[in-house]
Amino acid sequence: MGDFLQYVEMDSFLHRLDPRTKFLFFIVMSILTSFVKTGVALLFLFIVFTAIWTAGHIGKYMVVLLKKVKVLLLFIFLLWLVLGAFRINEGPVIYRAAFSLFGSSHTLSLEWFDLYKGAVFAMRIFLMISAFYTVILSTNFSQIILGLRSWNVPYSVAFGIGLIFQIIPMIIKEFSTIMEAQSSRGLEVDKCGAIAKMKNYVIISLPLLFRVLGKGHSISLAMHYYKLNFKVKRTSYKMIKATYADAVFVGVTVLATAVTTALQLMFYIPL
Amino acid sequence: MSFHVENISYKYNAKSDFILKNVSFEIKEAQVTAIVGPSGCGKTTLVSILSDVIPTLMPAGELDGSFDAGDKVISVVSQSPENQLFGYGVEDAISFGIENMGLDNKEIVERVEYVLDLLNIQNLRKRSVATLSGGQRQAVCIASVLAMRPDILIMDEPVSSLDPNGKKMIQSVLKQLRVTGQSTVIVDNNLEWFADIVDHVIGLVDGEVVFDGDKNEFFSNFEIQERLGVTIPQEVEIYRELSKKVNGLNPFYTVEEAKGAIGRLIRTGEYAEKQMDFSVSEEILTAEGICKTFPDGFHALIDVDAGFRKGKIISIIGQNGSGKTTLVKTLNGLNKPTKGIVKYKGIETSGKSVAQISKDIILVFQHPEHMLFEENVYRELTFCARAQGIEFSEEEALEVLKRYELLDNKDDFPVNLSMGKKHLLTILSVLFSSAGVVILDEPTLGMDLYIKNMLEDIIRRLAEKGKTVIIISHEISLVFKISDEILVLNEGVKLAQGSKRELADRDDLFDQINIALPPVVLLSKYFGFTNICCDVDSFVREICGRMTKN
Repeated sequence: MGDFLQYVEMDSFLHRLDPRTKFLFFIVMSILTSFVKTGVALLFLFIVFTAIWTAGHIGKYMVVLLKKVKVLLLFIFLLWLVLGAFRINEGPVIYRAAFSLFGSSHTLSLEWFDLYKGAVFAMRIFLMISAFYTVILSTNFSQIILGLRSWNVPYSVAFGIGLIFQIIPMIIKEFSTIMEAQSSRGLEVDKCGAIAKMKNYVIISLPLLFRVLGKGHSISLAMHYYKLNFKVKRTSYKMIKATYADAVFVGVTVLATAVTTALQLMFYIPL
Repeated sequence: MSFHVENISYKYNAKSDFILKNVSFEIKEAQVTAIVGPSGCGKTTLVSILSDVIPTLMPAGELDGSFDAGDKVISVVSQSPENQLFGYGVEDAISFGIENMGLDNKEIVERVEYVLDLLNIQNLRKRSVATLSGGQRQAVCIASVLAMRPDILIMDEPVSSLDPNGKKMIQSVLKQLRVTGQSTVIVDNNLEWFADIVDHVIGLVDGEVVFDGDKNEFFSNFEIQERLGVTIPQEVEIYRELSKKVNGLNPFYTVEEAKGAIGRLIRTGEYAEKQMDFSVSEEILTAEGICKTFPDGFHALIDVDAGFRKGKIISIIGQNGSGKTTLVKTLNGLNKPTKGIVKYKGIETSGKSVAQISKDIILVFQHPEHMLFEENVYRELTFCARAQGIEFSEEEALEVLKRYELLDNKDDFPVNLSMGKKHLLTILSVLFSSAGVVILDEPTLGMDLYIKNMLEDIIRRLAEKGKTVIIISHEISLVFKISDEILVLNEGVKLAQGSKRELADRDDLFDQINIALPPVVLLSKYFGFTNICCDVDSFVREICGRMTKN
């Protein structure tokens, strides 16, 4: 999917929300997922997220995100599994064996708790990423700038953030075109070993660097042509205004936060 | 009120040579001024000075002379609107500049409405910039700078990457601006597309003004046209060549005027037996029933059958989105067809990597920056040979560099060459490849007439060596001049493939794809030539031959 990591244009309630509402959602969810460590609470949060994605018609993009980050999630899951295997925990045991290494004895103990722990940490990371991605998918960079400006973020900062989201798709496209151009004239990037592949990526990075520098130059020229001066007070063509839908969404966010916190307190198992 | 550029000299640093030398001219109010000249003549530097990029953003150089810009607003439209437009939506992009000026909201809204109406692009206002066609994007870019009410609007090769529809859109926008009295400067060495709009021409060679006069004066000065390497409208080229052989020929700059002027020299009607193209060679590359549907459901190619014969030059034409690039990317394996097969010398190419296919079918992309990465011109030239393990001698490589005037740049960093030379270099590198089929995507991008002539020479040499050359180009005059065959695509469907003369007879076809036939073809048909002329030389020969018979 070529539109990964960028705004997807569609007409959904999520897209129509005030960008500030979505920023608030992202901030709250980031804080929430960084302290919630209970499976039931995270599962509840995942259900809330799924409902939001379904209502916002962005479910299929979240599946794409899941596919892209599956290796990372698997790594997190396995890491906690391996770390947990060297600690003896309470609860049902899947596998336990004692062995000796360099004269000292150790126990390898894999319990259901280790699986739970791995799943909780993987789920937290996924929810953190997906909260950010939910905002990116449904808020274009002009709205991001507008939203940040209305929170009195200096225009230079807001513009810089917006520019990053404008440039990311450009760089992804450039990289893909350079790969195609180089392979079209004989550079093997498909059927070769890992070392050759890495060497070829280095080769590709040079034209990419020049293209990115060229684009940076063009953008700085354009900023000059449009008389962009961060010292001058800027006005705005569009105004943003919160609506009833924003109030509902904020309500859902607050409610989901409250329930998640309650579930965290009720079902917390120290990890 | 006009604007005066007086004695401007500039060099990028104390040690370098002057890029501009005592440049003086006048930009007349409410007129369209063209600044032309070969690659490296200083056009881009001049734009940077006029737009105050030099010295504001680039203060390091030495600038002498003056430009009475004062507090006037001078806006620039670059050749790549995607690098210039800030904002996700059309309205965001148009309002960006005026928001920077700190105008109140009411004024901003009025100006946005004004430019949307002026350029007749109200229908685009709710679209995102990313979904616009090249022409629409450039129109939005023009709107965004016009909203700032510039005293001078500078356009730097604004149509270089546009298809014929996009060019038409920008032509109409420029005509509209002319009516409103906007002072406009167009920097472009291709005068073909804006010849009827321009009033005043400034010619630069090696940083010096060598021509400063009105359009008619420029079009009647053949020596200066050639010296400046300007691509002129084919009608003017016909007049230039014909007037060398016919005394007292009335000047003409349009097809209609040409009909009158040439009509006085010859009678219309058929004279000769129709020549048929009997040269048949084997089809080295075939595409059979190619369909390509992208993941978003867009059908880029629909059941396309095409054959490409050995040693022939075949051009693929059509508007943007017609499937040209998708087809060539399918031929070289970059795109896997949803249905259908590609065969090279009768063997299917599926299962091979793109690099493996490149030994037989090589594709040169339209932007040379996507390809250049070697540390010097010599290594770049021989890249394909080294990547494909093809033997070559240093003598051979140096000979090629010499023939195409790159020998002096042999040790230069390729990225530092002019755009035209960079493009030429990427095309030259395929000379050392083993490929039997060479595909060139928009090969004339950034080239002045002088480099274009070299390109024609390269293409002809490739064909003479028995290589099949496939070209994607929006330059219809070049297509008819150089091709043996033309393949016409429209909305993913192949409408026709045949010899250029066969297709030149089919007005319906060109009406359908909204591409105008070149003037030589139109005039050949008007005068009833049995064998339609596809280039200026053959057309002039035909006219002279008929005059003798008369």
